[in-house]
Amino acid sequence: MIAPLVLATQLVVWHSYRADEQRAFEACVQEWNRAHHDVHVEALALPHDGYASKLEAAIPRGNGPDLFVGSHDALGDWARAGVVTPIEGLVPAGSLTQFLDGTVAPLRVGGHLYGLPLAFKTIVLFYRTDLIATPPANTDELMKLARATRAASPGHYALAYEAGDFFYHAAWLHGFGGHILDAHDRPALSSEPSVAALAFVRTMADEELLPSESTSVVATQLFNDGRAAMTIKGPWFLGDIAQGVPFGVAPLPVVSSTGQRAAPLVTVEALLLAARAHDPKAALAFGAWLAGPESARIRATRGRQTVAARAAWDDPEIAADPILAAFRTQLSSTVATANVPAMNQVWEPANEALRKVLRGAAEPRAALGAAERKILEALRPPPPPVRAMPYAFALALAGVGAAIWTLRRGRARLAAVGGPGHGAPWAYLAPAATAMLVLVFVPFVVGAGMSLFWHDAGHWTFIGLRNFTDILSSRDAPITDPLSFYFTLAVTALWTVANVTLHVVIGVTLALLLRDPMLRLRGVYRVLLIVPWAVPNYITALIWKGMFHRQFGAVNGILVALHLTPVAWFSRFWTSFTANVVTNVWLGFPFMMVVTLGALSRIPKELEEAAALDGASRWQRLRYVILPLLRPALLPSVLLGAIWTFNMFNIVFFVSGGEPDGATDILVSQAYRWAFTRGHRYGYAAAYAVIIFIILGVQTMLTQRRTEEAT
Amino acid sequence: MASLTIDHVGKDHGATRVLGDVSLTVADGELLVLVGPSGCGKSTLLRCIAGLEELSRGAIVMDGVDITRAEPRDRDIAMVFQSYALYPHLSVRDNLAFGLKMRKTAPGEIARRIGDAAEMLGLDALLDRRPAQLSGGQRQRVAMGRAVVRRPKVFLFDEPLSNLDAALRGQMRVELMRLHQRLGATMVYVTHDQVEAMTLADRIAVLSQGALMQVGPPAELYARPTNLFVARFLGTPEMNIVGAAAAQASGLVAALPDTVASVGVRAEDLHVAPGGVGAQVDVVEHLGPEALVHLRVEMIELTARVDARQVPRVGERITVAVDAARLHCFDAAGQRVEGRQATADSPKLGIGKP
Amino acid sequence: MKTLRIAAVHAILVLASAATLYPVLWVVKMALSPSQGFAMSPSPLPTKVTLQNFIDVVSTHDASGWLFGRQLFNSIVVAAAVTVVGVALACSAAYALSRFRFGGRTLTLRAFFLSQMFPGVVTSIPLYVLLDHLALLNRLAGLVLVYATTAIPFCVFMLKGYFDSLPRELEEAVLLDGGTRFDAFWRVALPLSRPALAVTALFCFLTAWNEFILAFTFMTDPRSWTLPVALQRYVGDYSTEWGHFAAGAILVSLPVMALFFALERHLVGGLTQGGVKG
Repeated sequence: MIAPLVLATQLVVWHSYRADEQRAFEACVQEWNRAHHDVHVEALALPHDGYASKLEAAIPRGNGPDLFVGSHDALGDWARAGVVTPIEGLVPAGSLTQFLDGTVAPLRVGGHLYGLPLAFKTIVLFYRTDLIATPPANTDELMKLARATRAASPGHYALAYEAGDFFYHAAWLHGFGGHILDAHDRPALSSEPSVAALAFVRTMADEELLPSESTSVVATQLFNDGRAAMTIKGPWFLGDIAQGVPFGVAPLPVVSSTGQRAAPLVTVEALLLAARAHDPKAALAFGAWLAGPESARIRATRGRQTVAARAAWDDPEIAADPILAAFRTQLSSTVATANVPAMNQVWEPANEALRKVLRGAAEPRAALGAAERKILEALRPPPPPVRAMPYAFALALAGVGAAIWTLRRGRARLAAVGGPGHGAPWAYLAPAATAMLVLVFVPFVVGAGMSLFWHDAGHWTFIGLRNFTDILSSRDAPITDPLSFYFTLAVTALWTVANVTLHVVIGVTLALLLRDPMLRLRGVYRVLLIVPWAVPNYITALIWKGMFHRQFGAVNGILVALHLTPVAWFSRFWTSFTANVVTNVWLGFPFMMVVTLGALSRIPKELEEAAALDGASRWQRLRYVILPLLRPALLPSVLLGAIWTFNMFNIVFFVSGGEPDGATDILVSQAYRWAFTRGHRYGYAAAYAVIIFIILGVQTMLTQRRTEEAT
Repeated sequence: MASLTIDHVGKDHGATRVLGDVSLTVADGELLVLVGPSGCGKSTLLRCIAGLEELSRGAIVMDGVDITRAEPRDRDIAMVFQSYALYPHLSVRDNLAFGLKMRKTAPGEIARRIGDAAEMLGLDALLDRRPAQLSGGQRQRVAMGRAVVRRPKVFLFDEPLSNLDAALRGQMRVELMRLHQRLGATMVYVTHDQVEAMTLADRIAVLSQGALMQVGPPAELYARPTNLFVARFLGTPEMNIVGAAAAQASGLVAALPDTVASVGVRAEDLHVAPGGVGAQVDVVEHLGPEALVHLRVEMIELTARVDARQVPRVGERITVAVDAARLHCFDAAGQRVEGRQATADSPKLGIGKP
Repeated sequence: MKTLRIAAVHAILVLASAATLYPVLWVVKMALSPSQGFAMSPSPLPTKVTLQNFIDVVSTHDASGWLFGRQLFNSIVVAAAVTVVGVALACSAAYALSRFRFGGRTLTLRAFFLSQMFPGVVTSIPLYVLLDHLALLNRLAGLVLVYATTAIPFCVFMLKGYFDSLPRELEEAVLLDGGTRFDAFWRVALPLSRPALAVTALFCFLTAWNEFILAFTFMTDPRSWTLPVALQRYVGDYSTEWGHFAAGAILVSLPVMALFFALERHLVGGLTQGGVKG
């Protein structure tokens, strides 16, 4: 007997909310599921790092969710890549008026609407009510207050915020009457208002009215310690304020010279309809409810979200919340981040210009002009498609040649093979070889193939060797610029040599010390010294990044304790590079130490005794007997270590993050940036990877040949 | 027990010819010693017999069955390695049992055979030790025991005594002979030590540069070496070799046919005798019952074996004579020239087609 | 003179150990401190101690139950499977490369070496598509295969070096004793390579236990995540829950450290070619 059964539609929603927001979101979903038995929703919380690339990988292949929570600024790319799908016709046109002004428009791309707004994220002024009664209404008052604070107590600031982050700086830029992009979506950074805005911030920096390293962490810390009366932050800051700190929230001040309120960028968090959602109608039914007032109230009260649904703000509890109110006031003076391709290219050059000026390394006008040129260069149209035939022909020819060569050589070898059971080796080798072939070599060949294409929002155009010629002719930047291939190559070479040298020197030294027969506690030392090896390297990287912190890092703490000047590690090339190297050396020396210990144990004692009888001193025995014997034993490990270091992405990416201005990036992290943070230029990134591979391959071949000749 | 035939066997390593064209038979129950300087291919030949290396040419036949392509495990051959190759992670007992377990021998039978071998080789007290806890001589015994318990058709020995000190080596040599007599097994024994070869062998095969020089009983090879290499290689001290012209000019030998290019005289065939040619004594080596006297006849350096009671003094001028019947003659190619000695025909033992 | 030298050696080693331990203590401090901030000072000793961060991390739940437990279970299963698969594949491949001479041997060795030079940045996308086609996406099995292949080349080099140093006669003795090649491999070569196998196993385990980028890319459902991915959830766009992150980092690192200490003795001998005398 068949029961009359209505199968519930299953919907999956992805988001990357954490803590209170996550709990509020999940509460909403539970609420929906309780009331709607025909459509069951499952919410998945994903890590924020890699959220976007996961969406882009999963959705086009049908492995994605039906709906996902995303920021509108990535919407342009998603729409062009076919990750999201328009929702007109699925929602009644009139229903859009229920959202606050300015929260729906950013969700349109090319005339189509792609989602419903859940919340908006912008920044406001947080102030400590115990330090100032009323926040400054305009920039003149702000400057006065800042100067007075500095004069009264050095080390204290009126305002501390992420001055070096263009996202924050945009508030001043708009307040001074400037624009990031003009009406035709071209960069407008070098306009007069924009120069004035930068000059204003620079004045604050020059007069030391801002802390010297203006990062999020510093600002939070100073604010919590009472050493900064104000900070500029988003709603996420509420969780970071220490218990018992009395604070208020106000809109950003008015720029005195223009009379306009400083207008920060606003990001609209929306529920977006994924392409290939299997039941768009059901999805939108849930979407409309989630964006609507009932869920908005839950999200606002429990998740402290600044929600987009107008009706929620009428709720007495929400209306009475002065903090949320301040955000809503600020919303009328905001600019939505543009979701056009040009915007993707703005961040890196704009940040670079901003930081250069704050460091006093450049004048505002020149720095902004340079940034604008860089953006335009990155926005150049894709190279023309190239006919693939000649390449295919050349490839086929090369393939046939290689096959013939291999076969002929292979046959010559086979004839010389002796020993019983010559069919056997492949039986032992096949499982590993097959796995490697399928899961390592095939992806690499495909990846390498991508280097011949131009990628734009999911579309691939064959352009031949153009990516390579662009890279090798340093098209994107002058040769001495940190972004140029040759600069990065030089840094990478230096990075590899420095690390490997230090690994070997420290590893061998410690191993030699541990070998001393008179030494007690040898086992204890050995165990302690291999600890870094056991710690996952991304954890190591994050720890060391903290240790090198300008204000609170332990390294500077030690320098201060020794009466030395603390160093802003990540603002200059050499110090930043040093921080990376120190981290990687900490991480890598135990391996060399252990390898050396192994090699040392295999050097016969008699050799050293013979040398001692021959009158060699301790040092001479080391120099002429032990080290030459260690060399061949260590060589394979050194070679492998060099390759690993050359491609050591985690450390560079997490410790210095390429600071300052991408100068400490190595080739792999540069490739990563091209692939994932500079407008998804996968082809270009793949070309970088192929070049890395060729460099390492040639280098290894040469080294091996040299050592073969030497022995 | 089995007979073994090595038929035109050759082995190349790349372009290098390790074994040329070796043919040889080992009779059932015989102990054949392969001897030659290092690098002559004797170990390779042994490994070919074992099946550890593949032949480039030729065939190996055991008891009439061609085993050239057989896997080592199907050959029923046991081998004692120079390094003993005892399994370090197994006890002596398990080392002995290993081969039997591989062949699925019944546990009772395994225990019985191990008991026999242990008794034969005096291993009873060592059965539960690991190889690392044994002395060199004990390891050697275990290695032999491992071969013995298997009761294989053929035993192979690859320089088994070379890692032992002189005293132990002598002792083990005797033990090995006793073992051979007791088991009556077919054995092929590789060594570079000609004394070992002479004492152990039923027959000796001399190899040089991958080619077989001569095969025969030790006495035969000693008495009638077929070429200069064998003549020099066997016997201590080395045979005196003198160019034919110089030998005739000095009066050591009478007129020689033109085909003879050099002559050889063993030390014991060079007598201190009145009426011989004049010689000057250079050095005297005392060996106990006898002495080796190094002397010079004109510019020719010779060694004579002399009874200890008649040793001349250093610097003394004496006269020496060659026992003409024991003179070895070689042609320009180094091959033995027969004819002057009418005593016996040189039987070409084991050389040629079986 | 001698005591002076030993004192100097001790001084250097103590200094080195301190430098090694300092950052670790510092993570412990963050984990034990009540705040989620990045509050630091040169002293690696915590001022206020609470286990709240650990409790929070361990007691993570979702609708279907104890999420942390589930993820711990995933991590253990994946790491254990990678260890078994990785060691099995690596040791048989290494044995072939060490013991046989055959056409393609040098080529294979080179290819294994070359694979270490492929930057992962580029291969992750094709790998995703590939796993999708093989229906291995979102499955622990897919992750196991990917990790195992990542670990194989290094393990093969290490084991091949070790096998090369084992005397061949031992295996030849097996062949003559009536064993097959496989007996030689299984009953003699492997038991004698225990230190190297232990180290290989450790490496496979480490690769699988610590990785998070691929794990996150290939796995969607939090119930099929491994611990490092879960740990990454504490790192946000605007702020990071440092206390939770540090507590999680310690929980993730502890088993690895325990393994390291347990196998430390083997590490030295196993990593470079060992010799067996016997």
